[in-house]
Parts: sequence; structure tokens; C-alpha cells
Amino acid sequence: MHTGHYISGAAHLALLGWMAFGDVFAAEPLPFQATDVSVISSAQFDAMMAAQEAPESATEVVQPAPPEAEVETPQPPVPDTETELVQPDPAITPDAETPPDVSQITPLPPPADVSDQAPVLDQPPADIAVLVPEIADTPTPQAAERVAPEAVAPPDPEATPDPVEQEAVAPDAAGETVQEPAEATAPEAAATEIVTEAEKPARAPETSVRPPARRPEAPVQTAEPATQAPVRDTAVDSAVEEALAAAQAAPSVPQGPPLTGGEKEALRVAVSSCWNVGSLSTDALATTVVVQVSMTQDGKPVNNSIRLASSSGGSEAAARQAFEAARRAIIRCGSRGFELPVEKYGQWQEIEMTFNPERMRIK
Amino acid sequence: MRFQAISSALALLVAIAFTGIAQAQSSGPLRIEITEGVIEPLPFALPVFEAETTDAGTYAGQISQVISADLTGTGLFREIAPSAFISKVSSFSAPVQFADWKAINAQALITGAVSVQGSQLNVKFRLYDVFSGAEMGSGLQFSGTTEGWRRMAHKVADAVYSRITGEGGYFDSRVVYVSETGAKNARQKRLAIMDYDGAGVQYLTDSSSIVLAPRFSPDGQQVLYTSYETGFPRIYVLNVGTVQRRVLESQEGTMSFAPRFAPNGQTIIYSLSQGGNTDIYSMNVNGGSVTRLTSAPSIETAPSFSPDGTQIVFESDRSGSQQLYVMPARGGEARRISFGPGRYGTPVWSPRGDLVAFTKQNAGRFHIGVMRLDGSEERLLTASFLDEGPTWAPNGRVIMFTRETQGEQGRSTLYSVDITGRNLRPVRTPEGGSDPSWSPLQP
Repeated sequence: MHTGHYISGAAHLALLGWMAFGDVFAAEPLPFQATDVSVISSAQFDAMMAAQEAPESATEVVQPAPPEAEVETPQPPVPDTETELVQPDPAITPDAETPPDVSQITPLPPPADVSDQAPVLDQPPADIAVLVPEIADTPTPQAAERVAPEAVAPPDPEATPDPVEQEAVAPDAAGETVQEPAEATAPEAAATEIVTEAEKPARAPETSVRPPARRPEAPVQTAEPATQAPVRDTAVDSAVEEALAAAQAAPSVPQGPPLTGGEKEALRVAVSSCWNVGSLSTDALATTVVVQVSMTQDGKPVNNSIRLASSSGGSEAAARQAFEAARRAIIRCGSRGFELPVEKYGQWQEIEMTFNPERMRIK
Repeated sequence: MRFQAISSALALLVAIAFTGIAQAQSSGPLRIEITEGVIEPLPFALPVFEAETTDAGTYAGQISQVISADLTGTGLFREIAPSAFISKVSSFSAPVQFADWKAINAQALITGAVSVQGSQLNVKFRLYDVFSGAEMGSGLQFSGTTEGWRRMAHKVADAVYSRITGEGGYFDSRVVYVSETGAKNARQKRLAIMDYDGAGVQYLTDSSSIVLAPRFSPDGQQVLYTSYETGFPRIYVLNVGTVQRRVLESQEGTMSFAPRFAPNGQTIIYSLSQGGNTDIYSMNVNGGSVTRLTSAPSIETAPSFSPDGTQIVFESDRSGSQQLYVMPARGGEARRISFGPGRYGTPVWSPRGDLVAFTKQNAGRFHIGVMRLDGSEERLLTASFLDEGPTWAPNGRVIMFTRETQGEQGRSTLYSVDITGRNLRPVRTPEGGSDPSWSPLQP
């Protein structure tokens, strides 16, 4: 029964004995090199140390190079061959003695309002007879050939991409002033596919505008006088009336969901393309300004609403310069309207833009 | 029980989420951050100034040209060709049709008028922010003699530059420099003074002796320079208006050079070499006791005061190589500020006080660079065979320096560069030029 134990004990004893007396853990001696050492005298040692110290003492003293003015050895005066230069003309500095006077000019009267819209023409009086061509009751369209009999003119050359639209200028030989030719510029536009007029899809709205809030119906006046008015909570009634009045007073603005990251990014890129910091001072380039602007529903900024909300990092003058650059960017690139979803107008009716020029700073 | 607790927690989370969404939908304006812009010259329109008198037409055209050249020369502005103008400015007081200037993308509009009465010249101007549809600042009028028409043009350009950028201008300033002719081994040098743009060059000395390193006084009326007239370098003071000059006192057997005024205009600092050692000294420009500011066996030279006059930056090879150091104006312990590879020299403190311009030699090329006073933000603005001797414009935005081309026929030319490293351009002088010193803005 204990045979196994006996065999195991004997084997362990044998193993321990072999490890203890069999030189299992005896390390072999490491190889080493023997160096011959010669004995020198103290006089020889001093001589060796003196020889080693000599260069160090030589390097301690650095002979400074002579200055540039000393390097240029003085040259003897060279006779001037230009006779008119022997007597130099005295510098005429009338300007320094009499600096120009500076005075402020009276401000201009406010410029006349100029509207970009076409003037509204007066309607002709009704009593003027107008010859009206006779028109058939049911006009019948004429058949048109699908292929034009004459080749159409080539399309206009593509305009150079630029945020500001500009018509091409061609030299006019008949004009009094010679005009330099200029390329037409237009904002970049891209379409995913070319759609002809025939293939143009119907202009069905992709999203519907949220219906306006239902207005409360006017109370129906009854001829019969109320014999017994019900008991009502006046505080609740007044609160409901105030809420209804506020709802009626507020314009119906499509709120929509918040702008997506892509829509915000598009707006950010659009403004960035017109934010020119090239003419800003270094102080203004260290100033971050927060600008608030109100937007119209067609994506255009209301110029008069652009205001400086706050600034940080610079002086008041620097903040003003930075704000001017930001305002120019908003007006310039917003003149044609930013690409913003109309159905979310309530989300971007008021925009707060932070112009942080940290990456544009001089490094 | 546990199920009820989990349900309550989930309900609370859903309620909080809905509350957050509701708040987000009604949480004020849309907020975006703009961190990337463009760096482009600002386009401006400058119709030729109106000539209000019959004999003012020539001046009106010339003044308009100088204003345009000043602004475009900065690299920060771009002039729109007059041929692109839609509306014409018929009168200085006529209302501006902003829509016409918007259409050609003019962001700034400068209108002006010139009148001449005898020898009296009047120039007035207005500056408009086209896209805002408003005037930037008030209109200004300058009056002077007809001979000073260039200065009045520079004054207008300074005002426009200052109102748009927010920085001071530098157009109504002058530069004194060493005019050079002849080959390198037989070069003749004489002091010259000119407008900042190279116009109106006048010579202050003849070329009978070598002159070096002219430096303007803070009021722009005096110039310090080094001359070898006696065979040894001596410091002279020259009155720019009268061209009268005098030599500063110096000891026999010494060499004085690299002078520069202190901001107070009374004290000067310079290098003095005596017995093979060069140190920095100071003295009153009208004479008096000399104060030794450094005392080291190495070479200390090219000192330059800080704008407030409390510190001095200079070059020294006390560490074994030529480096830049800053010490108190009365002398004392110096602090090393340059640690990059190569050798640094000719430091000049910016008028703004925030930067030091210097010459750097590294890997066989010379550079003009700037760094902060603690040695940080080192920027090399140029690189060529030989660039040296920077000087600051009065507004601390532009640096002028000397560039010399290689070879025996190499020519020295003055160049200017913006502290951003952009807009590197030569300054046209009738002859070669070196060692420029920019004056302060003229009154």
C-alpha cells in the first residue's frame, strides 16, 4: 500500500543527494585576462602627469577673436574722384521744420439711401386706352422641332470661383477708357448630377413646415345671460391667457430639430473663407471676439444686428480691429445667403460666432 | 424591489435626457467657432484724388500714386485697378455708392481732394469700410508746402494703415544708411539719408573716409556714426538738418565703434577696444564721464537699449561662441538669451519692446531673425549668402537690413521684410547700400 510512497521517497532522496554531492550547481570559473603591470618610479609618474596637464592649461585661455571693426584694417583716406561730392549738399529738411498741419474735416452728411430693388412704376391710369392683341380663348401650342435648325452659340466660359460674384469685363474698343479685361467670378457651385429642364423633378417639398399653433377660438356670445357663473380659478385663467397671448404674439418660426454637425460645419467653412486676418495687427491676432448676428429666413445676416458680444486676449483697440474683420467676413460671405436649412430657421435665427485666431497667429 | 429601483432610475435618466434635449432646443443662439481664416491682402479702391483747384491736378495724381504704393508695399493691401471701377467719385463731398464698390469687392475706399493756393498745399481724405457702409474714423486734412507733397501723401497712407490694421504707420519716416560704390576691394562709402521708400536720397558725408553704422537719435535729428577719418575708428555726431558734425571724446590708443543712442537721447552706449579687449561703455552725448558697463576678457559689442531704457541687449563670445545677452542699463550680471546653433550678432530691440532682431550665421548662411526676450519663439525671416544689420520700422512691424551678393563684384543692397517673414522686397537706392538705420515717425 505504501509501496508508491517508498519509491517516491527513495527517488527524492536520490535526487537530493545527487544535487548536493554531484556538482550540479558548481559554476565554472569565468575566463579572465591577465595584464602585465610594470612598476614605475614616482619621478616617472610626475613626468607623465605633467605631460597630460599641459594641453588643458593651454585650452583654458581662449583668445577672443578680434571684433569686426578691428578686422577691417583702417584704410587710408581715399581721395574722392567725384568733385561734386567733396562738398556734400546739406540735407534739405523743410518738412521736418514745418510739419504739415492736420485738421479734422467735418463729417459728411448721411448718404442718401440707395436701394438695390427696382423702383415701383406707377400704374397707368385706367382711362388710357391700350391696344390689346386679340387672344384666342384656347391657345394651341405650335409644334417645335427637337433639333434646332442652327447651331447654338457656345456657352459662356466658366467663371473663376470667388465668394463675390463679378461680371466679366472685356475691352471695349469704342469706349473712351481702355478697360482691362477681367475674368468673371462666381461662387462655387456643384451638383451631383446634370438635370435638364425636362428631367427636373417636381418641386415638391421634402419636409413640411410645422403648422402654426392653433389659435384659441373666440368665445361665442350667447344672448342668454348667464344666470350662474361657474367658479373658476382666476390665477389659472390669467396664466393661460398670458401664455396664449405670448403664443399669438410670437411669429410662427419653423423650429425644426437642431442643426446637424455637417450643417454647422458648412456654415463655419463659409464664414472662414471670408475671414481675412492678413491686415490685422499682431495684437488683434491675439484677440478672440464673440460676435452675435441676427439672420433673415433666406440665410442672410442682418447687417445692423452684427454686434460684439465679448472679447478676450487683447486691448480694446485690438478687439475693435478683430471685430471689424469678423463683421466684414459675415457681411461679405453672407451677402448671397448662407446655406442653412429653412425648416430649422428657429435654430439659426440668432447665431453667435466665436472668432479665435490662435491658429492664424504669427508663430 | 430591485426591479422597481432599476425602473425608477431608468425613468429618471429618460426624464433628464428629455429635459436636456428640450433645453438644448431652446438654449439661445446657434454657436459656432471659427478658427481658420485666410491671409490675403485687403483689396482697396483709391480713385485719383479730386483736384479742387486748376493747378492741383498734378499733385492729386502724384499723391494718389504714393499713397497706393505705400499701402501695397506693405503686402497687407491690394489695390483694385481703376479700370474696374463702376462708379466714379465726382466730388469729395458726394455720397458714396457702396453697392458699386461692393460689386468689385473693394473692402476699403479712400477718397480725397487736393487744392493749391500759392505754395500752400491742402490734402484731405476720407476712408470708408465698404461692406459696413460706414466711414472709418473722421476725415482728415493736411496742410503744408507744395515741396512737401510726398510727406503729406505718406501722412495720409499712415492714417489709412493705422485705421485698418490698428497699428501705427511707418511711411512718414526716413532711413540713414551707408551708400556704397565700387568693387569690394576698393569700395567707397558715404552717409546718405532718404525716405523710407528710397525716394529723396541726399548725401551727408563725402567718400574720403570709410564710414560705418549710422544710428538715428530718438528724435530723428541727429545721427551717430563711426568714421576712419583719422585712421582709427572714432564716433561722430552729425546734425541731419545742418550737416554739422563733431567727434566724441576718446582716449588715445583706443578704438570706439558701434554707437547707439539711449531712448532719452542724451546717453549713448558704444564699444571701446583697448589693449586687445573690447567692452561696452556709456557716456553723455555732450561729453562727460565715461561709464564702463561690462568687464570681461571676451568681446562685448553691438549694444542696443530697450525702449524703456532699463536694459541693454548685446553680443558677446564669453561662452566660447558669439551669443546674445541682456543686462541692466547700468551694467551688471548678463543673462544669455540665444541658445540655438550658430552665431548670433547685431541685436536690436524692437520699438514695441517684445522682440529682438538679430543676425544669425549658421551652416554657411546668414539669416535675419527675431526672438522674444527669453530666447523663445525664434524665427528666421531670411536666408542668403550674407544678410546682416537689421533695423526696425517705427511701428515694429517691418525690418530693413543689408543683403550682399557673392563674388568680387558682389553688391550690397537694402531689403525690407515683414516680421512674419512675408513681403521680402528690395529698397531701391541709386547706389549700393548697407547699414540702414530707420528713423522714428516724423512729427
